[in-house]
Amino acid sequence: MQKNIKNNGKDWYRLDLSATVYPTLQRKDFSSVYRLSVLLKEEIRPDILQKAVDIALRRFPTYKVAMRKGLFWRYLEPNDRPGPFVQPDIRNFCMPLSFKGNNRYMIRIYYYDRRISLEAHHSLGDGTGGMYLLQTITATYLRLLGHTITNRYFVMDVAETPDKEELEDAYMRYANASVRPGRPAEKTYRVRGTREPFHTFNVINGVLSVSETMAVAKKYHATVTEYLNAVLLYSLLLKQEHDFHFRLRPVRIAMPVNLRRFFPSRTLRNFITMVYPSIDPRLGEYSFEEIVTHVHNYMRYYINEKFLRGDITTNAATKRNPFIRVVPLFIKDYVVRLFYTRVQDKNSSAGLTNMGAIKVPDDMKPFVDRFDIYMGMPYSQRTNCAIVSFEDTMTINFASCIIEADVERRFFKKLVEDGIHVKIESNRNFTKEL
Amino acid sequence: MSYCVNCGVELEQSLERCPLCNTPVINPNEVTHTHSVPPFPKEKGQVEVVKSRDLAILLSVSLSAASIVCGLLNLFVFQRTLWSLYVIGACVVIWVLAIPAIIYTKMPIYISLICDGLAIGLYQYMISFNTANHDWFFKLALPITALVTVAALLFTLFLQKVSSAFLMTALYFFVDLAFLCVGIELLIERFLEVGYHLTWSAVVLSICAVIVIALVTILSRARLRNAVRRRLHF
Repeated sequence: MQKNIKNNGKDWYRLDLSATVYPTLQRKDFSSVYRLSVLLKEEIRPDILQKAVDIALRRFPTYKVAMRKGLFWRYLEPNDRPGPFVQPDIRNFCMPLSFKGNNRYMIRIYYYDRRISLEAHHSLGDGTGGMYLLQTITATYLRLLGHTITNRYFVMDVAETPDKEELEDAYMRYANASVRPGRPAEKTYRVRGTREPFHTFNVINGVLSVSETMAVAKKYHATVTEYLNAVLLYSLLLKQEHDFHFRLRPVRIAMPVNLRRFFPSRTLRNFITMVYPSIDPRLGEYSFEEIVTHVHNYMRYYINEKFLRGDITTNAATKRNPFIRVVPLFIKDYVVRLFYTRVQDKNSSAGLTNMGAIKVPDDMKPFVDRFDIYMGMPYSQRTNCAIVSFEDTMTINFASCIIEADVERRFFKKLVEDGIHVKIESNRNFTKEL
Repeated sequence: MSYCVNCGVELEQSLERCPLCNTPVINPNEVTHTHSVPPFPKEKGQVEVVKSRDLAILLSVSLSAASIVCGLLNLFVFQRTLWSLYVIGACVVIWVLAIPAIIYTKMPIYISLICDGLAIGLYQYMISFNTANHDWFFKLALPITALVTVAALLFTLFLQKVSSAFLMTALYFFVDLAFLCVGIELLIERFLEVGYHLTWSAVVLSICAVIVIALVTILSRARLRNAVRRRLHF
């Protein structure tokens, strides 16, 4: 992210490459909001948490901002209004976030029993950036309670001045391949379901053991991410096969990849790109083992520095084009929304993200039970799956806005069949028959 | 600790049914839940309603100020004609048009259309104070404004209550346009006292009639209707 300093000393921030898309999809009933939660071992004290938020947020200038509209692009402006205030958690979280509401803050902090939850608009940053903020808030909270927590991994020094690199748009630094590979665009299988009334957010969490899952994945000669990707593809394939359909379509998962693993950057902004592992049932019937092998090979082939550099170069090309840059914002909004609705949203059947094993400083470990992440409300009728693990606890969080839970059922049933013990939690309302 | 007999997953203690398959949890050994805090709260949140109150206040104050200042100038400085009525009328029209967009967004569309018609009528009445007589207003401007308002109301009514499909919208539009043009010409002729003879509106009426017949034909035949929708979808 580029930081621009005006003559009068006021700061403003350009939106990064990914962040430009999310506000255009903003509707009264949809916002790109994700949630990160940490479950501690003792009940949360809201007064202390509010103090911790106030202290920690100073360290994250790009999260203490308001969204503004320019003639050609949106931008972020430092927000000095009171807040954001911690609030009791709600059942239907990840609610749409108005840019003008909540004192113009684009983050929300909730507490419930032993849990602290951070909800952030995706245009501020990705899950990694959000995890830095959540863990820094948690560490500050624990310090205010009298514990000693060192600054390590995702816990940042709140007294430190933010590094320039933390605020950068890292995409632009690395989007320098000399060729722009095309984007795959094909209509994929869409989960059909009965839409829940506004705003219902159906969540099903599966809690399992990391070591058990790793052992099963190893049996299939795959990593945990590859194995879980394969299970989701398998569930979607089964659902498509059993549901009424005119023709079979490919089943494809949209999976964000953290680019920091390949391109060194300390940015707290978005730095992800999407890969799309897929299975085409029109080619024949795939056994589960074949799906795992296919996903394994796909990941090995596509997730490397060369391919990812090409991908972000393609994405950056539109933002660099001088003719596109001078188009007024409302026209850009219309075109981007049309492209997303007609092409991008239809390009995948479900979303899956794996944040991997979350590291916390050793002296913070005794206070943390587990982490949860939610990809937020899906744009269309489908289900999003987010995975995170801490120590030996892995949580798989499904979020959807449809009544049917067929994909989730098939997913967890497959894990149980493979010998993994799964514990289910949900916020679903059971008055309706499925 | 309960397990779903159907899915084989362990269920969190507060769950009364398996969220995956809706199978009820019946565990005779665990009638009361030992874990008192369920993993999710019961309270549901509401989306914050953002009011554009600041803009509404700014608009109302600016328009009132402009009207009052012009009224005072007209009263004490430039007194030759009632020119301030043009400005005051325009301010009233702008304010009324802005009501459904900024000031009271929940206002039913029919009431806002009637208010718009009344505001425009009022503006014309104000203008008539600067003309030789009020005849043109009562015999021409007011009836035409009423006619346009009724046409707009009918168009909205059909869109909302019957169908808002692309072809149906085109049908309402052309029927509305034909009757509006005929009505306007008849009102002009009544004002000029030249007798009722359709001239230019007859041309509009004929063109609209052809289009309406074509649309009715397309709408009455499913195959044709679908073909047109397929080719013209946007």
